[in-house]
Amino acid sequence: MSLTIQALINGILLGGVYALYSAGFCLIFGVMGVVNIAHGELVMLGAFAAYWLFLLGRIDPLISLPISFGLLFCFGYILQRLLINRVVGAPPIMSYILTFGIHLVIANVALLAWTADFRTFAVPWAGTSLTWGGLVIPKARLVTFVLAGFVVGLLYLLLSRTRAGRAIRSTAQDWEMARLMGINVRAVYALTFALGAGVTGVAGSMVSTFFVIHPQMGLQYTIVAFCVAVLGGMGYLPGALLGGLLLGVVESLCAALLSPGLSVAVTFFILFLVLLIRPRGLLGRGMLE
Amino acid sequence: MTLTVTGPCALWAAEKGFKIGVSVALTGIVGADGRLVKDAYTFWAETVNSRGGIEVKGKKYPVDLVFLDDKSTPAVSAKLIEKLITDDKVDLLLGGFGSEQVFAGSAVAEKYKYPLISGAASSNKLFERGFKYYFSTLGRATEEVRGCVEVFTSVEPRPRTIAIVGANILFTSLACEGFRKYAKEHGFDVVHYELFPIDLQDYNSMLLKVKEKNPDVLLVGSHMLVAMKVVKAMKEIDFAPRGVAFSYGPTVPKFVEELGKDAEYVIAASEWTPNLPYKDDIFGTAADLNRKYKERFGRQPDFVEAASIGGAVAQQKVIEKLGLAPPLREEDRVALMKGLYEIDMMTSFGRIHFDQTGANVDHPPVAVQIQKGKPVNVYPADAAEAPPLYPMPPWKKR
Repeated sequence: MSLTIQALINGILLGGVYALYSAGFCLIFGVMGVVNIAHGELVMLGAFAAYWLFLLGRIDPLISLPISFGLLFCFGYILQRLLINRVVGAPPIMSYILTFGIHLVIANVALLAWTADFRTFAVPWAGTSLTWGGLVIPKARLVTFVLAGFVVGLLYLLLSRTRAGRAIRSTAQDWEMARLMGINVRAVYALTFALGAGVTGVAGSMVSTFFVIHPQMGLQYTIVAFCVAVLGGMGYLPGALLGGLLLGVVESLCAALLSPGLSVAVTFFILFLVLLIRPRGLLGRGMLE
Repeated sequence: MTLTVTGPCALWAAEKGFKIGVSVALTGIVGADGRLVKDAYTFWAETVNSRGGIEVKGKKYPVDLVFLDDKSTPAVSAKLIEKLITDDKVDLLLGGFGSEQVFAGSAVAEKYKYPLISGAASSNKLFERGFKYYFSTLGRATEEVRGCVEVFTSVEPRPRTIAIVGANILFTSLACEGFRKYAKEHGFDVVHYELFPIDLQDYNSMLLKVKEKNPDVLLVGSHMLVAMKVVKAMKEIDFAPRGVAFSYGPTVPKFVEELGKDAEYVIAASEWTPNLPYKDDIFGTAADLNRKYKERFGRQPDFVEAASIGGAVAQQKVIEKLGLAPPLREEDRVALMKGLYEIDMMTSFGRIHFDQTGANVDHPPVAVQIQKGKPVNVYPADAAEAPPLYPMPPWKKR
């Protein structure tokens, strides 16, 4: 019994990790309809930002989170303005090709710059855990989980309560109409992508505290983010939280109670079922082209 | 008059050396491990070239190595070996890192009748294909991990229960089989046995299950990345059995560099240690090899590096003995293959004598433990540099 509870806790925490690094993916797809295949590279860049800031500046990843956010925000803004803007509104295949190219370029430049070494760093607090009644709660994952709720909540508030958020939402709904209403659609897109990238950078920084990182880690994260987005509903932000949690819990329970090999199979089976039965995601709020 | 003729001729002859191709993982899942093999061959070539090269019939031919990155992908390894043979027209090959990669690559080498000696691939299946051109200086994977189990028969209080987990790829799953075989032979109770996918992202849940069974010792079938992830997850879920051992990984210098103090007490399998009485006329004793390697790379060679060097030396010795001068033709390589089956020689890596499947004679099982940031030999007792530290303290008391 205690193994089930422990696996459940682990799954919920893992779900928070998934949700945090998938939120940016959902946001970008929701607003621009771009499936960002280079998403995992943004996670990787965030992870390396935290890694180098810790190694060279002895800055704790929690403190360097705003720096990671800022760096990735600027990077995302430039990327969108220079490249991705050109494929918004074009057939989806164009965005696949472009972002796949960006994925290759970033991953290989990182490989040249940082070599293929697997890296990890020992932040004194991050590797340890809290124990409570025989149950173990790893600290870094708990922080990530809380951060996931916070980030998704903040993005949600930003979209629903602020002027910029309204501009983003109206652009997502109908960009031509939004432009007629005086909204600078290009700026909105760039802002959205930058926000998505910034949040993903934060996720990457947190991931670096408990996972091994390397320049080629990205694709795996893109795949998980895609699964999370489909489960939660493509482009529906709170769905990232739900999708992440579901994926994390299913994976963890499978690994602990059945076999780790089955957890991947079960995940994809659920994904298949959702696509078949609820293509708009579990809550039915996602977008469908 | 004669001077003007022999001058350019001698120059031309000196340029014509042995071109040796290596397809090895420099990036990807075993990239960090594979780069050790690159260092090892580079060291061998530098040493041989500093003496003028490989000596054939009184004349010396320098060695020129061509490294290509197989990205840890077996299909790429096969493709690159074909490229090295047909495109780069190399005279000889040397093996890369990892059983899967070498498994695919050696099939191509076999087709083109190129002997391929690997020092970093040991899965039993490599030797069960009836190949004539494949050789390995390492023992079989299932035997290689023997020291990792036997070291726990020498500690007090003797552990009773053992859990075994490993990635479900060729080498690591065979290592797990070896762990199980020797655990049973020595009367340990195997309370858990499980293989998991190599791309599993989160290890916590998988290890929670092991923790629940409270084994005295955890044995892991691993490469470097898996080993790192296991140690991180063990600390996160506060799982500290009395002992933990890995089939491969902790002896790669990056393991200690990245994990720091968390790498302490970890045990790993090995087949070589610098204080064994091995020697050859190129590197001297095993201790000399160790010292020279340290001067060149600032670190001790790992056992796969010693084994790779051993393979290169074996190939060199047979070429010298048979008097095969470059550029080598197919019949030269056939002769080389036959010659390799006949050798029984001592190198600084230890004895090299291939059986009819291409596997090397058994080397004594060695286990090393990370102590104060360095890999230290702890088993067998007669070659040990220090006794094993046991039991491993709980994470919270470090």
